[in-house]
Amino acid sequence: MSNIAKRQTSTLDKVLRVALYVTLLAMAFVYLAPFIVMLLTSLKDVEEIRTGTLLSLPASLDFYAWGKAWSGACTGGTCEGIAPYFLNSFQIVIPAVLISTIVGALNGYVISHWKFRGSNFFFAALLLGCFIPFQVILLPMAKTLGWLGVANTTSGLVFVHVVYGVAFTTLFFRNFYQAVPAELVKAARLDGAGFFTIFYRIILPISTPIIVVTIIWQFTQIWNDFLFGVAFSGFDTQPVTVALNNLVNTSFGGKEYNVDMAAAIIAALPTLLVYVLAGKYFVRGLTAGAVKG
Amino acid sequence: MANLVIENVKKRYGQNEILKGINISIETGEFLILVGPSGCGKSTLMNSIAGLEEVSDGRIMIDGQDVTFASPKDRDIAMVFQSYALYPNMTVAENISFGLEMRKVPKEEREKEVSRVADMLQIGHLLKRKPAQLSGGQRQRVAMGRALARRPKMYLFDEPLSNLDAKLRVEMRTEIKKLHQKLGTTIVYVTHDQIEAMTLADRIAVMKDGEVQQLGTPQEIYDDPANLFVAGFMGSPAMNFIPAQVVEQNGVCALSLKTQSNVVLPFPKPDALSGHLGQTVLLGLRPEMITEPQPHKEGLEFVVKADIEVEVTEPMGADTMIVTRIENAEVNCRSNPAYSAQPGDTIAMMFDTSKAVVFDCETEERLDK
Amino acid sequence: MTTKSANSGSGMTQSRRPARLSLADWMPKLVMAPTVITTIVCIYGYMIWTAVLSFTNSRMLPTYKFVGTAQYERLFENDRWLVALSNLGVFGGLFILICLFLGVMLAIFLDQKIRAEGAIRTIYLYPMAISFIVTGTAWKWLLNPTNGIEKMMIEFGFEDFKFNWLSDPDMVVYCLVIAAVWQASGFVMALFLAGLRGVDGEMIKAAQLDGAGIFTTYRRIILPSLKPVFFSALVILSHIAIKSFDLVASLTNGGPGYSSDLPANFMYTHAFNRSQMGLGSASAMVMLGCVLAILIPYLYSELRGERHE
Ligand SMILES: Nc1ncnc2c1ncn2[C@@H]1O[C@H](COP(=O)(O)OP(=O)(O)O)[C@@H](O)[C@H]1O
Ligand SMILES: [Mg+2]
Repeated sequence: MSNIAKRQTSTLDKVLRVALYVTLLAMAFVYLAPFIVMLLTSLKDVEEIRTGTLLSLPASLDFYAWGKAWSGACTGGTCEGIAPYFLNSFQIVIPAVLISTIVGALNGYVISHWKFRGSNFFFAALLLGCFIPFQVILLPMAKTLGWLGVANTTSGLVFVHVVYGVAFTTLFFRNFYQAVPAELVKAARLDGAGFFTIFYRIILPISTPIIVVTIIWQFTQIWNDFLFGVAFSGFDTQPVTVALNNLVNTSFGGKEYNVDMAAAIIAALPTLLVYVLAGKYFVRGLTAGAVKG
Repeated sequence: MANLVIENVKKRYGQNEILKGINISIETGEFLILVGPSGCGKSTLMNSIAGLEEVSDGRIMIDGQDVTFASPKDRDIAMVFQSYALYPNMTVAENISFGLEMRKVPKEEREKEVSRVADMLQIGHLLKRKPAQLSGGQRQRVAMGRALARRPKMYLFDEPLSNLDAKLRVEMRTEIKKLHQKLGTTIVYVTHDQIEAMTLADRIAVMKDGEVQQLGTPQEIYDDPANLFVAGFMGSPAMNFIPAQVVEQNGVCALSLKTQSNVVLPFPKPDALSGHLGQTVLLGLRPEMITEPQPHKEGLEFVVKADIEVEVTEPMGADTMIVTRIENAEVNCRSNPAYSAQPGDTIAMMFDTSKAVVFDCETEERLDK
Repeated sequence: MTTKSANSGSGMTQSRRPARLSLADWMPKLVMAPTVITTIVCIYGYMIWTAVLSFTNSRMLPTYKFVGTAQYERLFENDRWLVALSNLGVFGGLFILICLFLGVMLAIFLDQKIRAEGAIRTIYLYPMAISFIVTGTAWKWLLNPTNGIEKMMIEFGFEDFKFNWLSDPDMVVYCLVIAAVWQASGFVMALFLAGLRGVDGEMIKAAQLDGAGIFTTYRRIILPSLKPVFFSALVILSHIAIKSFDLVASLTNGGPGYSSDLPANFMYTHAFNRSQMGLGSASAMVMLGCVLAILIPYLYSELRGERHE
């Protein structure tokens, strides 16, 4: 009976609560607006863009810009749209993600459960590597890729992404495996299992969450990369981010903002899709890489 | 089945010496219990025996064979961990047969072995479950099953029952004892539980700071502790340590202390005290040796009555602990619950020193060895 | 003979470690070897290499004619570099402050048992999933001096509304701030929200039993306990700021003139486009110095914290 009095919320509380929701929704609009504008712009024709405003709706759905962005727009030298570069990105991302994830998993497994002299020190050194500004390694890496004969190739880019991605993937797996009890590995060793058998039969089957987190993290990082792409790719091995930047900055005739926006959405689509489908893991990757970075 | 010899084993982590020269040898079929405060190196010693940690110095032999640097899988040892360490992605049956699979035992034999072990431990109905679907007691049984399936030469148990509730712990204790009697295998077993140690062990090794303080049968450890640490560690409530002065009475050495009045207690080995006449020593007297006056003990050689002041009483069911203070040391006395007393009362108690021991105040070593 | 007697005579037996270890013993090291090698070569080796280059007069190709600190002196006499550095100060400072403020605020707001919290959180965070190039492209259009927000506001009836920061050398750096905040503030929100969810509920209850109101509870109890989160966020945001390259490339391309250059862009332009390898290396080393100045205290405290666990 006494809690009836308690339950009555004051008018002030109600007002505050409404203000809270209004603020949150307004902020949600602010975050969404750029994407909405991009989408609207990509569906307008040049005339509508010139006469209308950012948020004015297109008169009709016009997919001309999308078609052009995909296969006709000029990106620097050629005018084949961003489709070839979109595929380039996949050719870079898929091997780079797979290799860096596998190497990271094995490294994490060693660092947590097969420590040797210096392994902790090495981990600290690797961790520091997560943080260096990549400008410090650009010139030597460019030289090295030249020596190895993979300058301006997809394999060269894959190599670069693996080398600098492994620091993160190792960190993710190490933090995850650190929580796996050491006794599990000890029991398996007494049962007669070796290094790889334990990894494959016992550790890997319980690693699904961290594998998903790592793959998503690496996929997003490498897909969104621009620096390595612009520094180490050739004309026909450019990733989509570089092509997009070229497309936007190519001033061939009149500026077609609708094409720019369509191309930008296309370039963002894979990672956005991953985010929408597996947001939980994406956030976990971000915070894991961050909180324990 | 095997015997185990541990010779001067040392283990260092960096500058820290965790094991400082351990010497233990265990006969085939023996049940050895390791006890000691947490952090004293029990698990490290177990891991060294199993080959999971490489020792820094010394030698480990199993069945006369030097295995100091053999890999764990070649030692044919099974271990049960406090956390059970069941493989979470495998069913109970797979957990039990994993070790056999690794040793390339054919499938039919593995299945036979799994059902044998499951029958022995009554876990047949759990075989298809994953560890996450088991209760603590069931997990414990599976962990034992995994160890049993391989029929190893030797078992290591590292606090296997610590995560169980009291009732289950007693049940499993009995079961482990039965298993040992039935299989007759060599077992090294770490525990925190006094009763577990006393009931299960053929011999007990008491460890402290990486050193074995005493190795002996449970009764030896209990009645004849090597030093103050062992005396205080084994037994619950712990042995009382009362400062007492060595005096001469009727031509033999005895111990004088002050309760409500001055008391002189005779000592079974007075000669051991003769070198300390006039000095203060620590008298070690177990609580059950200070009781209410019992008529049948009246007049026995080492029994003396004295008055004490009751500080606290702690009824424990079968007995009541009466806590008093003698020479500024807290002293527990075990009395019949019927012998009621209130805090502040002065009552008569009977001191039986027939099993008393004395320690040097400084070195904490036994004086009457 | 001597060894034998020593062994059996003293009773202090010591087994010898077998000289040749099996492959199994080497496996962990073997597995780590590629990473160890690439880390030593491609992180630390390259760092040293760049450091060496920064003391040479390398231009198009690396030469190893050492010129002492001449490149650093040139660097700090270079107006473009000084602009880039001061831009980094303005951009980094504002970016970090606004992100932290927005992130903490939104996290606390979202922590009030909000309906549809999941959806709102998703919206706040999605910019983090896309490339800075896409962000730059989008904001370049939004901030377009004639057709962007300015025109929209005029249509809404604000006749005199002027918004031409993107073409104003004094204001263009704030455009970078706007776009970067849009992209990263949701991430700070997610960090703090995770932190808030991790705060010990009993501690909050105890505070409320002690009579603390909701504001006091946040100010005195909850936020102070999130110091580590705050610290991580700070490090990550400064790291993003110092490494910022793509955003400038796509949003302003350094312009107008070089008024919106950041050090990362300066380095890239000089090292790759202008054949000023020595100068570029020197600027990269200064960037590394900035990162280390932030990082070393952070790692130090992190590692010390770990030891306590
Ligand atoms: N891998 C290790 N590195 C450094 N010190 C360790 C390691 N493992 C155990 N120790 C230390 O060795 C001591 C003994 O540990 P342990 O054998 O687990 O004790 P317990 O008797 O409780 O089982 C502890 O002080 C512990 O901190
Ligand atoms: Mg232990």
